[in-house]
Amino acid sequence: MITIKKTFSFVIIFLFLVACSSNDSEPTGAEEGTENNEQTAIEGDLSFYTSQPDEDAQKLVDAFKGKFPDVNVEIFRSGTEEVISKIQAENQAGEVQADVLLVADAVTFENLKSEDLLLSYKSEETSEIPETFVDKDGMYTGTKVMATVLAVNTEKVTDLPDSWNVLTTEEAKGQSIMPSPLYSGAAAYNLGVFTRNDEFNWDFYEKLRENEVMITEGNGAVQQAVAAGEKSYGMVVDFIIARAKAEGSPIDLIYPKEGVPVITEPIAIMKNTSNEAAAKAFVDFVLSEEGQKLAAEIGYTPIRKGVDAPEGLKSIEEMDVLEAELSDLYQARETDKEEFNSMFGDQ
Amino acid sequence: MVRSATNTGNRLFMYSPSFLKIIGFIVVILIFFIPIVRLIFLSFTSEGGLSLEHYYEVLHSPVTWRTLFNTLIIVTGSTILSVILGLLTAWLVAYTNIQNKKLLQAFIFLPFVIPSYITTLAWTQFMGVNGPVALLLNSLPGNLEPMNLYSLTGIILVMGFSHYPLVYLLTISVLRKIPRELEMAAKVSGGSRFTSFRKVTMPLALPGIASGGLLAFLASLDNFGIPAFLGIPANIRVLSTYIYEQIIGFGPSAFAKGATLSVILGIFAIIGTLIQWLLLRRSKQFETSREDHEPRIILSTKKRVIIESGLWFFLISTSLVPLLSMTSTSLIKAYGLDFSLQNISFKHYEFILFSSTKSQEAIQNSLKLASIITLVGLFIGTFIAYLRVRQPSFFNKTIEGMISIPYALPGTVLALAMIFTWLEPLPGWNPGIYGSIWIMYIAYFTRFLILQIRGSVTSLLQIDVSMEDAAMTSGASSYIKWRKILIPLILPGVLSGAFLVFLTALTELTVSSLLWSSGSETIGLVIFNFEQAGYTTHSTAFSTIILLLILVGFLAIFLIQKLWERKVFHNGNRD
Repeated sequence: MITIKKTFSFVIIFLFLVACSSNDSEPTGAEEGTENNEQTAIEGDLSFYTSQPDEDAQKLVDAFKGKFPDVNVEIFRSGTEEVISKIQAENQAGEVQADVLLVADAVTFENLKSEDLLLSYKSEETSEIPETFVDKDGMYTGTKVMATVLAVNTEKVTDLPDSWNVLTTEEAKGQSIMPSPLYSGAAAYNLGVFTRNDEFNWDFYEKLRENEVMITEGNGAVQQAVAAGEKSYGMVVDFIIARAKAEGSPIDLIYPKEGVPVITEPIAIMKNTSNEAAAKAFVDFVLSEEGQKLAAEIGYTPIRKGVDAPEGLKSIEEMDVLEAELSDLYQARETDKEEFNSMFGDQ
Repeated sequence: MVRSATNTGNRLFMYSPSFLKIIGFIVVILIFFIPIVRLIFLSFTSEGGLSLEHYYEVLHSPVTWRTLFNTLIIVTGSTILSVILGLLTAWLVAYTNIQNKKLLQAFIFLPFVIPSYITTLAWTQFMGVNGPVALLLNSLPGNLEPMNLYSLTGIILVMGFSHYPLVYLLTISVLRKIPRELEMAAKVSGGSRFTSFRKVTMPLALPGIASGGLLAFLASLDNFGIPAFLGIPANIRVLSTYIYEQIIGFGPSAFAKGATLSVILGIFAIIGTLIQWLLLRRSKQFETSREDHEPRIILSTKKRVIIESGLWFFLISTSLVPLLSMTSTSLIKAYGLDFSLQNISFKHYEFILFSSTKSQEAIQNSLKLASIITLVGLFIGTFIAYLRVRQPSFFNKTIEGMISIPYALPGTVLALAMIFTWLEPLPGWNPGIYGSIWIMYIAYFTRFLILQIRGSVTSLLQIDVSMEDAAMTSGASSYIKWRKILIPLILPGVLSGAFLVFLTALTELTVSSLLWSSGSETIGLVIFNFEQAGYTTHSTAFSTIILLLILVGFLAIFLIQKLWERKVFHNGNRD
């Protein structure tokens, strides 16, 4: 028995040594080799992390592969919060595995930019995209326009409102719903924009609270509550309402006259990408006329000038955008959330 | 000859466990210990190096204390509710002559199998302003209003209703094995039915109750769906939602703060495990070889009908209502339309079954993942359980405590710990486990092994060591002992554990949502995806299909178990 034990511990030590020694030599050499090859041709593996719904991401990748069949694109898809957590964890554990990243809003990218995780790339396609949606250092570029709109249940609300202020009226008391900025990136963005807008600022949220607005985890829950008639009004991203409406749900979307906050689902290349050429080709494709038409086909408002919005949604030229200085939003996001939390969490 | 045979047997008995123990130890260290250590290390890391900064900050925030208080109330409340409901239903099914037990059992499992966001949604609709409860209360005199589910009580109720099947499953076979002679003896000696329950049934059933209670406790700690849905509108935070909030704060110290809170949550889990040890000390073993399926308490028809109607009323409102609400949603053309004949359509089912290749791949992937994890867990888990029961040393108990932590941690935290551990297990060396399907196998194994261990421990605790000694003195080798004595006796309980592992692995979401890679989509992910893209009707249709598949699987296991029992007892092992 003692021999067995001895042999066993020897095997373990041996395995450990093998593991240690192999870590110095092979993989690094292999990596350098592939990097050199991929500088020239557009081929190889490309890891794409995104928060777009799975089907939409797949359609985008399929179209890209139609043009660059030698690139093998691997998709990782999850909610924006999960995708960013994953990237941060990979970064802390050693090396970010993503090559290209496409998630909800510019503020998130500002954060990654400040941590020096992004690669600067000024695509030629950006000339056709409104300047405000392109980062001036070329770190990231908006890919579509997603407005937060007012959703109404058409069975409960017959007289369609035209202003955000309907949410603070007597008739909407206990009848409105919105996602929590603590959980939804889009809602956190909206909070920053509304509170920095003179017409609204924190008073608007204070009135919403007094009017017993319900706070939920995400946009999906808002759509469900309004479609089911549990609530009459909701603050929610436009495309899921347009989809539900197209399917036949008793729901409608309104672009209030004061304007709408928009997020742009920017795209960026990660700094330590192992396939820069393919990553650049992918970004170019997403921003190109072809890529933008595809986005419109799938059901999003495209960001490129001259490409029409899908039915039921307004194009970027038609909508009034509520905006705020990005760097302010980025700096203040934590304090905004805390302020929101103390306002709504007084129990 | 006889002498030498005994010797070999003894030597195997003495040495083989210690040899296997080393392997087990190394596996446990690698898979369970390192992620936890990484997490603890992270909680002490700040920009300036090691420090207590995050603990100081977290423990000085009143929000943390309110969160801890809420967590304590919710977890304790829902565990107590789960234990009461689980024990009561198990006792009724095992002991009394109520009818349609198999059907009852299927209904008891439903809440555990239905995804918790659907259960929660169904409950809020059920109790909502336009829901059936409100209508009923309105027709009654007085100003009655349905309960507000967006509250501590609401969360406790929904969690208790979702987790009691865990207690039921681990208690039912224990109850059935309690020798009726003991209870009769108590009665003959003049004890009332209650005394016999308190003095005989309870102590003997304790392994099952403690195991099930612990699992319900751990499951409530980790649960994110219910407190997120019901807690956010009421501004009630528990540890799992608070940790998520911290992590998605994205700030430079977000992970460290999340890790700090996770360590606190881990302490909760360990306290729960400790309480379970204390309880098990008082449990008793007995020699019994088979489940007794005959009713022990014959109720009069009148009493029986009253109890049956009460039970069915409870099961219909806790199991059938969520199920029907889910199925009806999946059958409507578009979400929000009335459930009427002209709005019914099967197009969502058509889409899932015939058009969506993703859904079919997901079913295959999840089945593969779940069955392999179940099979591997069956062996390793039962072995660890055996060590834990026969040699309850401090070391073996510590291992058990460690294995229970990954089940109690919120899925997001466990997934992050997995990335920290497996991206570069040794600095600078990326073996490619992370980013392939292997990370999912490892993560699932880490998370769900405790379910198997609890199932196996429960059934092993009931077998007196004298049975093994008898085998040994008769000259049986270790292999023969397991093959002929232990396996046949513990199989029902072990299979209950395996059943739990399989079910939870099949619909897992939170861990997978951070760890999957192209081609390894799971059922949970596809449902989550439909949900996030706004296709509620697709997600409910898919969930309904999965539920049907699970029910079919459940039936199959039931049949296999029946066949096995018949085979074992046919061979004349009895007496």
